[in-house]
Parts: sequence; C-alpha cells; structure tokens
Amino acid sequence: MLTLQLLANGLALGAAYALCALGFVLVLNATGAVNFTQGDMVMAGGFAAIATAAMLAPLWPGAVPGLVVLPVVTAGMAVLGVIFSLFAYFPLKSRPPVATIISTIALGIVFQNAANAIWGPEPRAAPPLLDASLVRFGELAIPKQSLAVIVVAAALIAGQHLLFSRTPLGRKMRATAQDRTMAAAIGIDVNAMIALTFALATALAGAAGALLSNTFFVTPSDGTNYIVKAYIAVTIGGWGSIAGAVAGALLIALFEVIFPALPLIVPALFGSDALGWLFSQTAASILLYAVVLAILFFRPQGLFGELVQRRA
Amino acid sequence: MTGRLLSGINPALAFGLVVLVVWPMAFDTPYGLRLFALAGIYAIFVMGYQFVFGHAGALSLCHGTFFGLGAYFTGILGAKFGWGFPATFAASALAPVVLAAIVAAPVLRLESHYFALATLGIAQVMLLVAIKWEAVTGGANGIAGVPPIVLFGMTLARGWPTVLIVWGLVAALGLAARAVLGGLYGHALHVMRENPTAAMSLGLDVARLRFETFLLSALYAGLAGALYVHTIRVISPEALEFHAMVACLTMTVVGGRTRLAGAILGAVLLIHLPEWFRFLEHYYLIAYGLVLLATIIVAPNGLLGLVEDARRRLAPEAPPPAPFAMPLPAAARPTVPTGAILSLDGVGKRFGGLQALDAVSFDVRPGEILGLIGPNGSGKTTLVNCITGIYTPDGGGIRIAGTDVGGMPAHEIARLGVARTFQNLNLVDEMSALDNVAIARGAARHLALGTQTGATAMALARAEAMGLLEAVGAAEVAMRPCGGLAYGTKRRIEIARALALQPTLLLLDEPAAGLNESEQADLAQRLKALAGSGLTLVVIEHNMPFLLPLATRLVCLDHGQKIAEGSPRDVARNAKVVEAYLGPQEAAEVVA
Amino acid sequence: MPVRTARLPVVALAAACAFAAAGPVKAQDVNVPILVPITGFLSIEGTSQRNGALLAVKNAPAGLKITAEVADTGVAPEVAVNALERALGRGKVQAVAASMLGTQMLAMLPVALENKVPLVTVSGTAQITEMNNPYVFRFFPGDDVTKVAHVKYAVEELGKKRVALIYQTTAYGQSGRTFILKNLEKMGLKPVFEEALETSVRDMSPVLGKAKAANPDVVLLHLHGPSTGLVIKQAAAMNLGLPIVAGSAMHQPHTAHLMEPAELKGVCAETSASPVSGGSPELDGFLAAYRKEFNAEPDGFALGQYDAVSMVLAAAAKGAKTAADVQKALATTTYKGLAMTYKSDGKGNMAHSAMIICYDGASRIPKIVKRYENITGVL
Repeated sequence: MLTLQLLANGLALGAAYALCALGFVLVLNATGAVNFTQGDMVMAGGFAAIATAAMLAPLWPGAVPGLVVLPVVTAGMAVLGVIFSLFAYFPLKSRPPVATIISTIALGIVFQNAANAIWGPEPRAAPPLLDASLVRFGELAIPKQSLAVIVVAAALIAGQHLLFSRTPLGRKMRATAQDRTMAAAIGIDVNAMIALTFALATALAGAAGALLSNTFFVTPSDGTNYIVKAYIAVTIGGWGSIAGAVAGALLIALFEVIFPALPLIVPALFGSDALGWLFSQTAASILLYAVVLAILFFRPQGLFGELVQRRA
Repeated sequence: MTGRLLSGINPALAFGLVVLVVWPMAFDTPYGLRLFALAGIYAIFVMGYQFVFGHAGALSLCHGTFFGLGAYFTGILGAKFGWGFPATFAASALAPVVLAAIVAAPVLRLESHYFALATLGIAQVMLLVAIKWEAVTGGANGIAGVPPIVLFGMTLARGWPTVLIVWGLVAALGLAARAVLGGLYGHALHVMRENPTAAMSLGLDVARLRFETFLLSALYAGLAGALYVHTIRVISPEALEFHAMVACLTMTVVGGRTRLAGAILGAVLLIHLPEWFRFLEHYYLIAYGLVLLATIIVAPNGLLGLVEDARRRLAPEAPPPAPFAMPLPAAARPTVPTGAILSLDGVGKRFGGLQALDAVSFDVRPGEILGLIGPNGSGKTTLVNCITGIYTPDGGGIRIAGTDVGGMPAHEIARLGVARTFQNLNLVDEMSALDNVAIARGAARHLALGTQTGATAMALARAEAMGLLEAVGAAEVAMRPCGGLAYGTKRRIEIARALALQPTLLLLDEPAAGLNESEQADLAQRLKALAGSGLTLVVIEHNMPFLLPLATRLVCLDHGQKIAEGSPRDVARNAKVVEAYLGPQEAAEVVA
Repeated sequence: MPVRTARLPVVALAAACAFAAAGPVKAQDVNVPILVPITGFLSIEGTSQRNGALLAVKNAPAGLKITAEVADTGVAPEVAVNALERALGRGKVQAVAASMLGTQMLAMLPVALENKVPLVTVSGTAQITEMNNPYVFRFFPGDDVTKVAHVKYAVEELGKKRVALIYQTTAYGQSGRTFILKNLEKMGLKPVFEEALETSVRDMSPVLGKAKAANPDVVLLHLHGPSTGLVIKQAAAMNLGLPIVAGSAMHQPHTAHLMEPAELKGVCAETSASPVSGGSPELDGFLAAYRKEFNAEPDGFALGQYDAVSMVLAAAAKGAKTAADVQKALATTTYKGLAMTYKSDGKGNMAHSAMIICYDGASRIPKIVKRYENITGVL
C-alpha cells in the first residue's frame, strides 16, 4: 500500500523530470549543445502558469483550472523558446559546444533574476489541473493533481513520439537531429527545424513547470535542481537517446522517493541509528551521484546506450 | 637598435601591465583595493582552470571544489588548530592535488559531457559533505575567525599589503604557468585538445597529459582558495557551491581560454562588472548576464582574442624567420626477430551489428611497400586503427616486430616505431607547419611535464622539424598556419610529422587522395626513396595507377575479410577483387 | 499579479528631501546603507529586511536628512563584504542594516570592527553575537531564545514527550536544530526521530512516513518557507494526525499562502512577531503602511529590521552624530519598538522574547497563543 503511494508520488515527480530531460535531449540532438537554461525554463513555466491564471481570472467564474492554463503556458513557452534560440544558439552555431554552455548559463542568470524582479522571491503555487482533491483507492489516497500530472506528461511524451515518427514535420526535425549537413543537402530548412526544436523543448519544460508548481511550488532559483536532474537523466539514459532520457528521469525520481523510504518498505531496516543515516535524504543525494559515477565508470555509454566510437 | 629593442616588447602586453599597476592606484580605497585583491585571487583560480579546460580541453566542473577545498583547509587548520600561514598554505595547495589524484582514475578517462557530469557529481558530493560534517566544517554556518596572513611575524593588513602579496603570487604563478606551457608541452596540449587521436598516434600519452593538467589546475585552485579565505576571514559552503565554478568558467571564456593575460583580464573584469552595475539594484545580475551573453557572441576567443585580432589587423606581423634545418639523430632501429615487422593473426572488430573486420591475417615484411585495397567500407581504415591502438580489436593477435600489442594504448604502439597519416588529415590548423612537425619530435623524446619544456628543447625540435619539412618539399610554408595550406602540401606535412617519429613502420591512409598527377608522381618517388632507406610502408589507396607501380605486394579487403593477397599484378586480376570493386554483374562484363 | 517596481530608493530620497525642506533647523545627515540579500536563496527574508528598513526611513523622526542606499549581498560572503566596503567608502556611515545570512554577518564583522561601524540585523545565527564584537546588534531573538519558546510550547503547553524533528541542511536549519536539541536535553528529552532535508527535496512522503513510524506525539519543523509548506501540505494529505510546531519561516505570510486554510489547522509556529496578526494601533499602522508601500505582507523580519533602523534613527534624532554615538546608544539604551522592547544584553542581543502563533483552520492569519518574555537562552 505504502509502496504504491510512493510509486505514485515518484511517477508524478518523474513525469515532470522526464518532460524537462526530453526537451534537453531534443535540443542536444538537434544542435549538439547542452542547454543549461532548460531547468530555468521549468521555473519560467511555473511562474507563467501563475501569471496566466491571474490574467484569466476575470474571465472565469471561480478558480481558473490548470487545464485551461496549461495550453496557454505551453504555447507561450514555445514562442519563448524560439526567441531564446535566437540569442543563445544561432549566433553561436558554428562555435565549439562550450560557447552554447556559456550562453545558456548567461541567459539562465538573466531568467532567474528577471523572475526574482518580476514576481519576487516568495514561493508560489500554480492552480491544480482539475482541483485539489484526493482520489481514494481503498486506503490509498493520491492527490488528483499527481494523477493528472502523470496523464498529461505521458500524453505530451507520446505526442512528441508521434510527431517525430508519424508526421513529415517530425521526420524533418529528426533528420536535422541526425545529420544537419545531410538534412540541408536534401532541402530541409535546418535553421527552421532547429528553432522548432527549441520551441518544442521549451514548451515541454514549461509544461513541466506548470504541472510541478502546484504540488511543489516555484521559486526563481528552482532551475538548478531541474537541470542537474535532466543532465543526470540524459547521461544515464545514454547521451542522445530520447527514450533513455525519459527512462533515466523516471529512475531518478523513483530513486529519490523510494530510497529514503526503504526502511518503511522493508521494516527490518528500521531501528539502528547507523542505518537511519544511510537512508537520510542527504545520503540519498550522495548515493545518487555515486551511482551516476559508477554508471559512467562501468558503462560510459549509459544504461541504455550503445557504445559509439569516435571515427579516427 | 631601438627599433629592435621595442619590437621585442608586445605593446598590448606593456599596456596591460601599465593598467594593472595604475588600476589599484586609481581606486585607492579599501573597497577598490579589496576588489583588486579579489580579482587577483580569481586570476590565479582561472589560470589553474586554463590548464584543464583551456589547454587540455576538458570541461571540468569540479574546479570550484578544489578552490573550496583549499579554502576549507586554510579555514579549518587556521581557525581551529592555529596553524601558521606557511603550513596552511602548503596544506591548501596539497589537499586539492590529492583529491584530484584520487578522482582522476575514474573520471579522466571519460569523454566530454560524461567528464563534465562526473566532475559535477564530485562537486555536489563534496558540498553535501561540507554541509553535513558539522563537527569538522561547521556545517552550513561554516567557521568564522580565520586568521589573516601572518608572514615572518608580521600580520598582513588589508588594502595594499594584501594586494601586493596576492598580485605577487599572480605574477609568480603566471610565470610558472608560462614556463610549463610556453614550449613543446603547451604545443602538445594543443594537439591533444584539437585532435586527441592524432596526439595518441604521435606517441603522446594523452591520459598522462590530462592527469598532469588536472593536478596542476587543482594546485592553482587550492592556492587561490587559501588566499580567498584569508581575505574574507570566514569559510562556508558557499565557497563550494556551483556559482563559484560558474564564475571561474565565465571568466575563462570571457578573458580567453589559453592565454594567461586572458585569465587576468577575465578575472579583473568580471569581479568588477557586478559592482559597476550595483546602481541597478536587483536588476544588476540581469545586466551581468546580458553582458556575458554579448561577450560570448562578439568575442569567440575571449576579449583577449578580440584585442589580438585587432592588433594583427592594425599592425600585421611578418612571420618569424624559419629556423636552420638540422638532421635527425641516428635512430636505433629495433631488430626484427621473426622476419615480419607486422603480423596480423585473425584480427576481428565489431561495431554493434556490423562486423567491420573478420579474421584478417597477413604479414608485412621489412622494407616492403604493402598496398591495402578494398572498396569503401571494407574495413581498411578500421584495420589501421586496430594496428595503431586507436581501436581495440575484439579478437586475434597483432604483433609489431615480435611484440604483442593487443590492448596496448596507442601512444605506446607509436613508441614502438609505428607512425601513420590520416585519410582526413589530422593537422592542427592554427599551428604552423613547423610546429605541427616539431611536436612529433618532442613526442619522440617522450614528452611529459618537466621534460622538453625549455626553450632549447623547442629550438632543437624546430630545427629538426625544418629538416623534415625540407625533405618532403614543404620548407617554404614552414612558418604558415596549416589551416590555409593546399591539400597536397598538408599531405606532405603529415608525412613529415609521421617521419619525425623515426618509425620502422609507416601506415599511410590514402596519401594520394586530392593530389594532381605531378604531385602523385612526386609522392611516389619520395615513398620509394623511404622504402629504399629501410622503412616499411603500408599504403591504403584506391588509386590503382598510383599504387600498382609503387607497391611490392597487395592485400585486398571486402566486408572486413581478406579476399586476396599477392603481387600487384595477380591481385588486380583476381576475380573476387574485380567483383568486390565493380559488383558481380559489371565484373562479369569485364571478364567477358 | 502585482509587479514589483524599483521605486523604493526614490521613496527614501523623496522622504529625506521632504524632511529636509520641512525641518526648521539645519537637517542632520544620517547614512544607513541597507546591505541585504535581495537575490539568491535568502532573498525572501532579505527583501523583508529591505522593506522594513526603508519603511523605517520613511517614518523617521523629523530633522534628519537620511541616505539609505540598498545594495544586494547575494549569497556569497564576499559579495556582502564588497557591499560593506563600498558603502563605507561612500561617505560617513552611522550604522548599517545588515544581512540575515549568518555567514555574511560573520564575514562583515571584522570589517565593521576595523571601521567601528555598528551593524543592525535580524539574523538568527547564534554565533554572530559570540564573537566579542561590540559592533553587532541583533533585533530578532536568536535561536538560543526562539528555540526555548519552540520547545517549551511543545513540551510544556502541549505536554508532548516524543518529538520528531525535521530540519533543513542550511545555516538556518542546523543552527535551529542545535538549540532545539539543547533545550530538549535540558528537559531530559531526546528526539525519537530526526532528519535533515536539502532545500531541493520535493516529495516529503518518505520523511513523513519515517517520522510517523517512529511513533512521535509531536513534529517540530525547522525548515525554510517552501519546505515548511511542502511538509504541512503533504502531512495534511496523508492524515498524519500529529500536532506540528514549525520554525519561524511558517509565520511568513507567503508560507501560509501556499496552503489552504484547512491544511493549516492545528499548525503552530514560533516567531518574534507576527505583524499580520495585529495587536496594537501602532502595529496596525505599520501593517497598513507596509501593504501600501510594498504591496506585500510583512513578516517578523521586516518588523525587526524596521525596529532596528528606527532605533538607529531615533538615536540620531537625539543627537547621535557619529557611528560611535550610535553604537553607544544601541549598546546602552532601551528602545520600545513595535514588536517588543529592545535592550542589549552586552553582546548585542537586543531581542529577548518570542511568541507562539497558531492557525485555526479557517484563516491564514495566525493567532498569538503564547508569549515568552525575557528569555535568557541556553548556550
């Protein structure tokens, strides 16, 4: 019962991590660039949801549901993504990847401080997708929001998959991600595809922010945590693997929720003080990094990746 | 006479030095001097980062941790145990180096983004340890009451004394870095950064170079951390947090990744920038971010690169004169016990679902020119990469002059006397032709930190390189950067670079590609002469008119398998070979 | 959504000019730089400090020509020291309204000592008044004081003995935990469960589950606002059914705004003051002015910093011209502020009382349920 509860919580958190990591890996594949602003886009999405709800409030009797806010935020964030790429990526596209790392860090500083200046440093909560009630399955009580987050995130991930596998536009985006030179040679407007990829990635991060900020609140400095999680997810999932990024994100979130709760799931672990420390949140964080280091050491291609060797 | 004296002085450098002296005098307040001292501390921090990030090209994200560790050692030992400055300073230098040496084993072999994440992970773990280990570190509150610097019984006051000692150390550590990087060593790092594969093939121990630069960077960071905590007088986990690392990274990129003056420029500028924007209140960090973005867009090689470009445009410099050529010292050729200089026995290599090489066996005998042919994708280059240790074969044995080289790293194979050129040319474009070859001379003498670093070693290597360039007929372009040279010239320079290793076996990957007929004839002449002098050659080539008269024997690969071996005449007529090249139907027509 | 503006320095200067014009005698110059974290993870508290200080400048006694420039101290100690050196270099400074962040205070203290300029702050970090530095004045009860109230309320008023303690891995959390443990020990108690949380932890079900499994009868929190909100919200969702006594971050109005009033039912918290709860005409006046000026709800930090700067300005109005005069006034006189009466204990601790507030489940405005006066902290 408890395990199910934790599983639901972990999945809801992981679904939002997955949206962030998915955007990260899409941009990575399309441009070869590590986008350090992706975490701040989650934060921006959270604030955008709160601002949109406030803006729509006069048009809506009662509280504005998140389900109405979400499409507005996602569309707005997509536009922001294109504008972002015009500053962070396009002027630097022929430069070594580290240039984009710096430009995205610089814009991350701008985003964080702009959010701090506009909305202030206080934590805020966006409206829930449907309402704040709990869904009960026997003893199990799961916030409706958590279920809605899982469903919406799954739909968005499936949508991205369908876009890439079933539509001509998605195939062009995929071709661009595989080989920009080749894509340009067969007449694909590579720059447009890259701008679209940024739009998609930012929209996904924004959706993650809108979904998370109801349950977990949002403050201007939240981005750092999300970008680190996305980076880890993409690395353990296999650098460049889309499915791996989603799986990696879910694994991290489940680890974060399940590991500190192990003494509850396996009561035999409870009791001794030494073990108590081992399952503390801090130990969980340290262990997460240790596991990542171990994965990098023993499987540099990631858990799901295939070893690609550099051509000499 | 005066003209010559002045020409030895870089005007931009002289101007920079004057600014550095005038600056603290112009802002002679406790505030101005504190910022200037802080800028000096960050300059040392950034100089260290240039070793690993700028020169070795590895995006390390735990450099801030080395800084914080240096700070914590001085903080804890000084405030809690009352150690004096010399002892804490030494401890702060040593501790990060020890940590770097410990973590190097697992992380240094990782590539680019994996390395970045692994080092980020280390940084996060160290931060958590500093926060949680309250008994020692004071936890999140840290430790207050760190003593100021006390030297020879005198307490160093804030203001000018601190500025002088910090900037004295900037000068000393800057000169030390210049001594390390100025000669062949710095050039070798350049090759490694631009092209690790080429570096390995030259016999440069890439792993060792990365290790050395990683340790050096930790040393500088630790010293900077110690100075930092002396000026701020408290130590807290903020010193280990990611923003210290980001500050260092941005200073390096804004100033310039590989130039010492860039480290100083970046540090001075970015320490002062937020202070200049303070009037913007809580918008000042937005302005800081925007300026950072603008800089990275406008100045790809950092502000120093911008200054140098401008200087080059305003006063174009004539390239320095080429050195006099010197012959190579006589090499001791290893004796070949079995008669075969290279012996392949069932070599296989698989990439995912593709069998790139399948049980390839043949021998190469001393003094012969073996032609290796086969259609595109037949595994020729993969085979060369297996022989030279760039790839590790999945099966079979490779012996070079009787030595089993299975699993041996590439640089050690190179040191056994195996040199190669590359199909797609692996020269460093912005480096002169002469220096591209000179590095290989340094590498032939087992370049490492503390060896081959002096000016004499550089001069000797350049003189020898000049001799090699003359021998391949590329002397007239010796002082020009490789990037702008003609294709054929680059091919010859690559051969000169390979010959600089004084190899017993030379592997040439499509040496005639892109050459016109007279260049091809010239190349064939030179290769024959090399074989005549006792060198063994393996030549990968598609160009049969070039290869058939040159080779003494041919081996043909198809789909990773050897399908023919023998005299050029026999192999060229072999039905399987014709079929492999032309496809079965056309082959039938030709035979008919 | 109210949009913040940067009109505050203008307000301060305008106020200063108005006083200068109105004053019959030659106005006395007072320079009180406000060096607080308005960016970074402590910017919530830092912004409260700034607002409180600026409001005090606005409501200053007549006859003063006040300069009160705000500068950010961020998160790193050196940024705070840079800001202090910069402020000291820009004219004669009588006192500095200084950062909440303990490590920044510790870094600024030696500079304040060398320049003989008093720092007035609301930082709770116990260590800052333990450095034998006569230039630090704390207008907020330190953890040694507030944790007496925190623990006494849980143990004596609620009669609980089995304490579960959840705290943050920050200076705020670790310092608070130290004093909670000391006070429990004095009563012969040890927590039955203890865990530290990083600020990035989002899902609280593991820690709440483990706390519950240890079978406590009360949960003490010492967490920042967002984490406090997450714990209380998720505790309500899982029907934890245990009384929660939170740390001072709970009293900050934006923390309460993260939750539905029902989720807050039965939650109590320690603080030095709860301006939104009102209580006196002066306090109501402060509340109205603060809302009008900043379009925000004040917390105890804002009120503490307001009282601190007000005491400095009152001293200046009474003739304290130099930093030394102000330091002497702060060290020796008694000042009746809005939150409480302040008097130094000789180390710079000005505040010696704390209170417990509780939420009734119907409103986000807490009620004051217990005051603890004249606490001499355990050390």
